[in-house]
Amino acid sequence: MAKLIAVIKREYLERVRSKWFLLSTILGPFFFGVIFIVPMVISARTRSSPDLSHIVILDATGTQLGHRVARTLAGGITGDVSRADVRAVTPSTLAAAESTATRDVMRVNDPMLGYLVLDSTTIAGKAERYAGRNASTLVDVKTIEDAVRRSLLAQRLEHEGLDSSRIRTLTEVNLEMRAERLTERGREVGGLASAIFSYVIAFVLYMMLVIYGQQILRGVMEEKTSRVAEVVIASVSTDTLLAGKVIGVGAASLTQIVAWALSTAAVYEGRGLVLSRFGVGSMSIPMPHLGLVAGVLLLLFFVLGFIFYAALFAAMGSTVSNEQDVQQASMPIMLMLIASIVFVQPILLDPTSTFSKVMSWIPFSAPILMPLRMTLVQIRWYELTATLVGLLAGCVLATWLAARIYRVGMLMYGKRPTLRELARWVRRAA
Amino acid sequence: MPEPALDIQQVRKSFSGHVAVKNLSLQVPRGSVYGLLGPNGAGKTTTIRMILDIIEPDSGTITVLGASSLRGRVGNRLGYLPEERGLYKKMQVRRVLRFLAELKGVNRREADRRIERWLARLSLTGEDRDWGNARVDELSRGMQQKVQFIGALLHEPDLIILDEPFSGLDPINAQALKDIVVDLKREGRTIIFSTHLMDNAERLCDAVCIIAQGEKVLDGTIATVKAEHGGRYIALALGEDRTAAGDVAAVLGDRTLVQRVDDSNRTVELELAPHANAQLLLRRLMDAGAVVERFELVQPSLHRIFLDKVGAAAVEPGMGGDG
Repeated sequence: MAKLIAVIKREYLERVRSKWFLLSTILGPFFFGVIFIVPMVISARTRSSPDLSHIVILDATGTQLGHRVARTLAGGITGDVSRADVRAVTPSTLAAAESTATRDVMRVNDPMLGYLVLDSTTIAGKAERYAGRNASTLVDVKTIEDAVRRSLLAQRLEHEGLDSSRIRTLTEVNLEMRAERLTERGREVGGLASAIFSYVIAFVLYMMLVIYGQQILRGVMEEKTSRVAEVVIASVSTDTLLAGKVIGVGAASLTQIVAWALSTAAVYEGRGLVLSRFGVGSMSIPMPHLGLVAGVLLLLFFVLGFIFYAALFAAMGSTVSNEQDVQQASMPIMLMLIASIVFVQPILLDPTSTFSKVMSWIPFSAPILMPLRMTLVQIRWYELTATLVGLLAGCVLATWLAARIYRVGMLMYGKRPTLRELARWVRRAA
Repeated sequence: MPEPALDIQQVRKSFSGHVAVKNLSLQVPRGSVYGLLGPNGAGKTTTIRMILDIIEPDSGTITVLGASSLRGRVGNRLGYLPEERGLYKKMQVRRVLRFLAELKGVNRREADRRIERWLARLSLTGEDRDWGNARVDELSRGMQQKVQFIGALLHEPDLIILDEPFSGLDPINAQALKDIVVDLKREGRTIIFSTHLMDNAERLCDAVCIIAQGEKVLDGTIATVKAEHGGRYIALALGEDRTAAGDVAAVLGDRTLVQRVDDSNRTVELELAPHANAQLLLRRLMDAGAVVERFELVQPSLHRIFLDKVGAAAVEPGMGGDG
């Protein structure tokens, strides 16, 4: 036991003392802060083009719709409608008018931003067309589309005899959907906030498994190639060394996660201060509630997932003797991890589908995908238990295999073993 | 007879059809310096790994310090310096040593005390620089070797296994290590060292075992080995006057007198032919006009015995030096 503790202590302290650990622990919250805050700042600052009313409106509707749209785009009756160039055309002259408008858009002096075509299909509430240099700017297109919709609605209501001020009051509607998740604890924040939260958790788990798994692989390879392994193995069994390595590195990664969680929470609490620096008012960011049971389950999935992957990474590390073989050796394990992370998107879209369920049950993807589903939807206790049991069985199998490969691999030098040779190692070690 | 520090009986080990060690049996007396000698690839390292329980023999028994298994406390009574040296390159020297000591069950306070003593003894701490605070990869190869040597001794083991301990060391550091080996023996510890450098073995060992191609060729105390396996040897040194060189060469080439000549430039080691007379050889040399500066009946060197028994074909280039 004292030897296991000595190995754990070395693996843990050497990692925690490294500059990389210190730097990534400090910069982690900034990274997560940036993930949360930058999109908010960007979305808060994203406005349609300031001169959006500077367009040609080709009005082939035979109504005043073109002028209404120009007024709406200019910001209502108080806006400067002179910037828009409304041209009344007939359906037969529309093609020629479009050519002229194209030239106006392309001219050097004071070019128009684009041209909007309103015709009988627009009146019918079916279509409108816009061509312009900003046609790929989503927010501009959305603003024009919105202006046409509101103008058409106002025109229709006016035809029904309503006065213009009444129409403005009636058509001014800004709705925001607030989705709430129903769970056994009652109503909780849902929708986008919940999805982002789940995504961040899945991403952090994936990142930690990849980064620390690779560290274990390289650590084992260095121990082997620097021949220090021989001295250590003469003092402790390979099983103890492997266990100490997995536990020590796992503890270092947990330390980092806890440090990140605490400092991200601090950034979250102090977001008003940060956001105000960017001129954005403090906004409420709904955070899903994470109960004690869910927290423990997340920890359990991470720990078991870490054991599963770390053992395999260590085993693969013991099969290589040079840097060139590292990529190839880690490929099978990386494929399992990548297979897990690429299914995050489909599961986010539909966490209750059969596909999502099955993916979250498989031992190699469960450590990432079950926590993801868990934070998105309510999972029944028996499903969670079965997944945990499956993952535990996966861990037992992975460590059993890893211990055997590691035992033989640590003293083998030269070319990387083939699959058949690996199978022989496992048999021999057993 | 006291129980030996190491007792190996009929040990065999093979890898993928290749037999590395064949039915090896040997006993290492307690408190002795024991040489495990053999050419590269003879099975020395495999034998050591089996002694250390790093790998298991296919058959046979190994008893170390009275125990058949190294699990438990017996493992902590063994010290090991492998042939392929290596330490954690990015770790501070003191931390590496503390880790190695802790693996052998030494508590931190005691480990730190011993580390300071050893660093000072091997000149790794001084007024100009304290190498104990340096990272391992900042040390020269010789210094790293000394650190690893300390690592093998920090837990004050009863049985110390040193695999090619002097390779890569300059004469001063090699001598410092030899002095330590002698001190360890005086303290009653048993030292097994594996080498293919016979001069070192001859100077340091009380007993040796020569193995080749996985098999024991001979073993015993140095005196016994020389008595049992040596022929009749003469150390001959001739003066600078080479006018009679041709005649002298003819005498040395007479196979009724001299069976073999090992010319080491300044001294020539001769093995007398069976039934040949040393007096007759001396007279013939004098008659041939040789200026004899030394003519001494000597025991054969371990190097000579090694060559005879193992065969020159099994010896790789560069062996048999005095490193």
